[in-house]
Amino acid sequence: MVGIWTDITFYLCAAIAVFSGWRVFRTDSMVRASFLLLISFLAVGVIMLLLAAVYLGTALFFMMAVEMMVMALFMVMFMMNPAGLNPMNMVHQPWVAALLGFAVFTGLSLVAVYGEFPANPAPADLDPVRSLGRELLGDSMLVFESAGIALLATMIGTVVLSSHRGRYGPANEGSEPPGLDPGGPPAKSAAQKQQQREEQKEQEEDKQDHDQ
Amino acid sequence: MILNELLLPIFVVLITLILGAGVVDYLHHATSALGKQMSLRRSLNPLAPLYRLGLALSQQSVITEHPDRLNLRLAPALYFALAALGLAVVPWSADFIPADLVTGMVLWGAVEVLATVVIFLCGWSANAHLPLLGAYRYVSLGLSYMLVSMFVLIGVALPAESLQLSAVVESQREIWNVLRQPMGLPLFLIVGLGLTFWGPLDFASSPDLDRGISADQSGASRLVWQLARYAMLVAFSFMAATVFLGGWLGPWLPGPLWLVLKATLVLLILLWMGHNLPVMTPDKFISVAWVLLLPLSFVDLIWAGALALW
Repeated sequence: MVGIWTDITFYLCAAIAVFSGWRVFRTDSMVRASFLLLISFLAVGVIMLLLAAVYLGTALFFMMAVEMMVMALFMVMFMMNPAGLNPMNMVHQPWVAALLGFAVFTGLSLVAVYGEFPANPAPADLDPVRSLGRELLGDSMLVFESAGIALLATMIGTVVLSSHRGRYGPANEGSEPPGLDPGGPPAKSAAQKQQQREEQKEQEEDKQDHDQ
Repeated sequence: MILNELLLPIFVVLITLILGAGVVDYLHHATSALGKQMSLRRSLNPLAPLYRLGLALSQQSVITEHPDRLNLRLAPALYFALAALGLAVVPWSADFIPADLVTGMVLWGAVEVLATVVIFLCGWSANAHLPLLGAYRYVSLGLSYMLVSMFVLIGVALPAESLQLSAVVESQREIWNVLRQPMGLPLFLIVGLGLTFWGPLDFASSPDLDRGISADQSGASRLVWQLARYAMLVAFSFMAATVFLGGWLGPWLPGPLWLVLKATLVLLILLWMGHNLPVMTPDKFISVAWVLLLPLSFVDLIWAGALALW
């Protein structure tokens, strides 16, 4: 009973993954293409759940959601097309792509059909999430943590290098407000003016004291 | 077997979301009237949500010019489906869990992120500039509280030594996470406001964008979108009650009742926050999120880790 449902779910998800993967190249908008690709990945995620890769399957959901979202956002941002709703051609160099696609498909199919896969069946009581966690934070901890720190440092570095906003424009160009007339002296705030006036007053008083 | 294991969970999840959405609508308008000293009698009428439902259904549903119809229609349904997905992993008692996924916590994270996609689609597919601006805003602000959400949830998973929500509930048998990790719930509530773009974090459909992604919605299409949003708030309340307030655990009363009571409490706190927290400009919120909330969530995680080791 359960086996039939697993099979049905598998074939359904496989069909969805292939169909939406195909539609990625037939649609006419970048946003639609990104989210069709997302649907394809989500279907693959469900198949991974069926394969008992529970953590990887669920993680694939949110990883792909973030990635496709960010991709769609940036593509629309860099596109001279109002929000990507105007139709546009989504493919270029179709013949090269077709040849490459065919070659990759043939190669992977050959591996799948003729490859020798190791036969070491997992024990029935194996907890995949726990064993994955042990792997990540056990023997391979140094590798993963180094990669993590390197990525984090890269991200912080990128933000620091790209975002240098100050009160009056880029922070590395000084913090002076712009002039009231073009090229004029920087405009001062009321508090600064008050301070300036008080300083002048003090100077005058000092002068008077000095004169006396 | 099919009745108990398949239909009953689906029924419970859907009924909770739909009834819950009605409760949210009622409480939202009632508390808003309390705050503003408006005509109380009319707002406290228990049938008020039904009146609003009828009004929305009788209005014409205006549609924008050349929208992406498929996504425009699908977005509210998908948002509601995500709420259902999130609620499905919440355990109602020791033996009634609609979907007892080993990685329930990760699935909730996926729900939060996929909600971003759906909200973006809703604004984008209208093919009008104000909804698009709202959608963009939501996405660009989403990352800042989604990271907070991840760290807070990892902190909750630590004492349970599991990503399964039933294990998280069991780990709170002696002391609830709200006391064990005092910073967790406040941070998670802010995430909830962001997830449902509610109150001060309503950047996607805020008044300064002329209600952003909802600017061109009316009648039934506005109704389903609001329904989905309320449903997400309900699902979030159940999730927060489960991971921080001990879920279905509690003396005397049956488990599901405790869960509903705790979720209602979280809902009331969220609505109160929505009415009373100050509204910020999006760029100010980004600063607050990255400079204040994110480090606080780190502290929360370190706190949780230290406690788990000790």
